[in-house]
Amino acid sequence: MASVSGIGRRSKAPPFWLVMAALVPTMLIGLPIFYVIARAVEAGPQAVIDELFRAYTFDLLVNTLILSVSVTTLSCVIGVGIAWLVERCDLPGRRFWSVLASLPLAIPAFVASYAWSSLDGAFESMGGAILILTLSQYPLVFLPVAAAFRSMDPSLEHVSRSLGYGPWGSFWRAALPQAKAAIGGGALLVLSHMFAEFGALALLRVQTFTTAIYQSYQLQFDNTSAAMQSAVLMALCLPAAFGEMRLRGGVRTARTGQGAARRSGLLRLGRWKYLALGLLALLALAALAVPLVTILYWLTVGRSIGAGLEDMAGALQGSLMLSVPGAVLTTLLALPLVMLAVRYRGPFGLVADRLPYVVHGLPGLVVALALVFTSIRYVPAVYQSTLVLLIAYAMLFLPLAQSSLRASLELVPPELENVARSLGRKNYEAFLSVTLPNIAPGVGAALALMVLELMRELTATLMLVPTGVLTLATEVWSYTNDAQYAAAAPFAVMLVLASVVPVYVFTQRSLKIYDL
Amino acid sequence: MYYVDRRGLLKAGAALVGTAALGRAGAAIAAEGTTLTVYNGQHAQLTDPLFAAFTDATGIKLNVRRGSSTQLANQIMEEGDNSPADIFYAEESAPIIALAEKDFLAPIEAASVEMIDPRWIGKKRDWTGITARCRVVTFNPDMIAEKDLPPSVMDFATEAWKDKVAYVPTSGAFQEQIVVIMKMKGREAALNWLKGLKEFGRPYNGNMAVARAVEKGEIATGLINNYYWYAVAHEVGAENMKSKLHYMRHKDPGAMVSVSAAGIIATTRRAEAAQKLIAYMVSEAGQSVIAKAVAEYPLNPKVKSTFALEPFDELDPPDVPPAEVGDALEAIKLRKEAGLG
Repeated sequence: MASVSGIGRRSKAPPFWLVMAALVPTMLIGLPIFYVIARAVEAGPQAVIDELFRAYTFDLLVNTLILSVSVTTLSCVIGVGIAWLVERCDLPGRRFWSVLASLPLAIPAFVASYAWSSLDGAFESMGGAILILTLSQYPLVFLPVAAAFRSMDPSLEHVSRSLGYGPWGSFWRAALPQAKAAIGGGALLVLSHMFAEFGALALLRVQTFTTAIYQSYQLQFDNTSAAMQSAVLMALCLPAAFGEMRLRGGVRTARTGQGAARRSGLLRLGRWKYLALGLLALLALAALAVPLVTILYWLTVGRSIGAGLEDMAGALQGSLMLSVPGAVLTTLLALPLVMLAVRYRGPFGLVADRLPYVVHGLPGLVVALALVFTSIRYVPAVYQSTLVLLIAYAMLFLPLAQSSLRASLELVPPELENVARSLGRKNYEAFLSVTLPNIAPGVGAALALMVLELMRELTATLMLVPTGVLTLATEVWSYTNDAQYAAAAPFAVMLVLASVVPVYVFTQRSLKIYDL
Repeated sequence: MYYVDRRGLLKAGAALVGTAALGRAGAAIAAEGTTLTVYNGQHAQLTDPLFAAFTDATGIKLNVRRGSSTQLANQIMEEGDNSPADIFYAEESAPIIALAEKDFLAPIEAASVEMIDPRWIGKKRDWTGITARCRVVTFNPDMIAEKDLPPSVMDFATEAWKDKVAYVPTSGAFQEQIVVIMKMKGREAALNWLKGLKEFGRPYNGNMAVARAVEKGEIATGLINNYYWYAVAHEVGAENMKSKLHYMRHKDPGAMVSVSAAGIIATTRRAEAAQKLIAYMVSEAGQSVIAKAVAEYPLNPKVKSTFALEPFDELDPPDVPPAEVGDALEAIKLRKEAGLG
């Protein structure tokens, strides 16, 4: 039986090795923050005031907020809705729909945006951007919530039913509160993705802080206004990063007893079934069919078809060579942060755990410039080496790994580690022999999600990649830049195909983290 | 470790011997020579064949780093004395002029400079134009007749053109155009032009997007560089193109000619090879490769484009050469004042 109480809280001091391990990612995360602040200070207070208090900045603020709040809210509605349908209702083909609903993750947002904007110019607008980005982002809410619904202790819902609430009342009072942490985690990822989104918005002609930052770097040889826009963006991320933590509150989801893992009965949909199926089919059409058909269409109409195909193997190799080690490094750096935050809730752990979310909302460009600045001045030997790019990846995507790992770690009862320690194991031995094996599904999910995101990262890659190394994403960019859409298509197809494997792993692992 | 441009290597190898197996041996011989690092902001369609031909001719290999021209210029400034770059090739002149003004560039050999008209050369002879293109109006004849287009680009910023003109406030050539208007007609005129465009025009995020939007009939006209139209035509076939190009001429700011430009980074340790690359880029041989690859005007007067371009002498551009336009930073201030970003 799950105990909904606050006994997961601990306040004892974390071990030294863990603090040291958490310092590494924290210092890295500090780099872009210091870079942005230093550049803004260089400009002087008058420049800061002039830049921040002009109509243009206000327009950007409004656009950024409308876009990110709308996409996040809609992603939550769609994500929770589908999760509830496929996990808690007697929908026909529930497994099939569950897989289909997570597949949009395999399609990069800029590919989807290109597809929609080539259908009709009307999608190049705020409304279009909200629609298209919601369709590409909702799986980030759907997956953790589906996993939470699947594993939910049915007894709570039964209690609620026995108290006279109907199925709807039980959904609101028992099911939804239990999925609160999963919803909050997913929503935060979507929100910070929206703060940092560039490729899709450039195509859809929507101006946000991030597109403005790119423009500044695109046109100017003095980066102060871009630095100030970045500072505003970080300020926007802060409340979101800390707010999400409050949502999670003191709910304890770990179970030590296996007994109650009985599946609860499914809700009968009756005639509503057809409506639900119709909506799911419509969603699959919009989120999957439109972009895929468009890529295939490029293949048939352009004259540049086949150009650069000899680079395919190299680009695929480059993508894997960067994304797989990048994923491993990011996950390794995320582990101590999550351990510290979940097991020892001290102030350092809190800040170290939250800062990466702030940087996650920054455009890749800013992180890349901070690394150019630092590496060429202090460690020129590693400049434009793979190592620096991998570090940039880790700085940009730590929160994705943190979310997956956290969900897993919260399910491992600390009592298990205490037992190991009481049997004479040292702290880190208890971690290696008890904690790590138990969070393996979370690690798998984190790795898969990272590989997926890293394969499509473009801006930091362009700026930091070893000269001459190609990736699938840089090739798609390069050919679409020259209007050679048919030449870009095979690389886009390969990017989607290569994404299917990590999406599958991520989906399976995410849904099964509770099957301890 | 990975410092080999595979594309260049493959092409050089294939051209040398023709078979893949022997191609690798050919490339291995070239690998013993010097390798230059090029920061390239120009379209790959132009540079891929140009650089491959250079490696064929000289045995000097090139590491090509890609990115947008301004970003690469920013990167070179951020790198300072440690920059690995030997050569910078920019899609527009402003980024390279920004480097020139901060003394990041080395002078180019006289023999190379003399191949190109002095109008297209940097004031300190530390950069040279490689290709030229001109500002044009692309229009969709289904939506508007050519005779109804205004005589000057200035007229587009008026209510009569509400929702009928697409422009790209972030493109480099657009900034240069703002500066040209300032130099020709004064600051006030340039500011009003921008305010008019903001109020009545429709901003796009790229020239290619404008070329496509006009082609699809999404909007009647667009302010772009000529070669974007040719790039779309190249992809869908010129005979299938609906949109057409209109040339402003008469020294109108709308007839501005801009150049892509290259220079040598002052900190290079391979100055001799770098001079060879610049020499090749302006030579008849190099310019002929460009003339076949993209619809830009080769700047070496002995070479003519193989595309059906409007003759270069008939463009009648304003008398404000790129070197006078400078790094276009004034344009940014005006844009901010006009509320354009």
